[in-house]
Amino acid sequence: MKLNSEIKKALKTVGAGGSVVYLTTVSKEGIPNIVGERFVSVFRDEYIFIAEMFAQKTRVNINENPHGVITMAHPLRGRTWTFTGPITILQEGYPDDYVWEGLNASEALDEWGNWALKEPPSEVPPDIRPPALVQRGIIALKVESVTSFAPDAVGKSL
Amino acid sequence: MAILSPRMKNWLAGLGGHIATADKKGIPLVVVTTSAEILNDENVRFSLSTQQVDYIKNNIEENPIVAIGIGGIGSIRAAYQFKGIAKLESNQLSVNITEIYSTKPGPEAGLRLDILPLESVIKFEETRWKDNGPPK
Repeated sequence: MKLNSEIKKALKTVGAGGSVVYLTTVSKEGIPNIVGERFVSVFRDEYIFIAEMFAQKTRVNINENPHGVITMAHPLRGRTWTFTGPITILQEGYPDDYVWEGLNASEALDEWGNWALKEPPSEVPPDIRPPALVQRGIIALKVESVTSFAPDAVGKSL
Repeated sequence: MAILSPRMKNWLAGLGGHIATADKKGIPLVVVTTSAEILNDENVRFSLSTQQVDYIKNNIEENPIVAIGIGGIGSIRAAYQFKGIAKLESNQLSVNITEIYSTKPGPEAGLRLDILPLESVIKFEETRWKDNGPPK
């Protein structure tokens, strides 16, 4: 589904005026994993990208169970949004014409394969900034639904 | 058994968490709270709305394992992940914390903290953060 301009504006690298999000994945045994992510962007209105900076369990989980959930974490400003959909990791090495869920890996990596260069987190305080921005690829979630996580409207489509 | 440090307790109590659940097929659902009640060194409790209970009830019945990240600015400043076994009683979700991880970006991402002595965890925290909880 296509994301609107308000959502696209919010889903940017936190140092560039965007937000921190939580990414939830699940192992094949059913064990959830939730990690805060600072390097976020929207690609072609319907994919959420997160920089893959040597993720560990997240990577294993995505490879064995490609379902993801992204929730807005900070700053919230009433944006109680949950994004759900299939998820993958794109990185160098795929054939040039490799396509996942309508997304060409080469095009995605050409634009977001070097996050530090494209959108450096200059506003992120040193004590919470990664010591080095070493990126292995892109975590891509194709948004199939946007719902609320507000306590009185959780799961309601937005 | 995992022991929560005073800093972890303060952040959880002050800002609550994003609580990730999954059904038996591994499909995730997340509920978000803005506070938590610290019951003791290894147990926390979240008050949920009726809608939140309905949303995750099936998942908790099928698979009581949950993962928790601290909400709000805690997603940046309190880079922990808690895993545990959850139990729903009425509108209360109680979680027995069994694993604690650092999610601080960089080489310490994924570092398991609950296997360290508590004094080592506190030292780890003191050398990386200046706060002992969320801002007032």
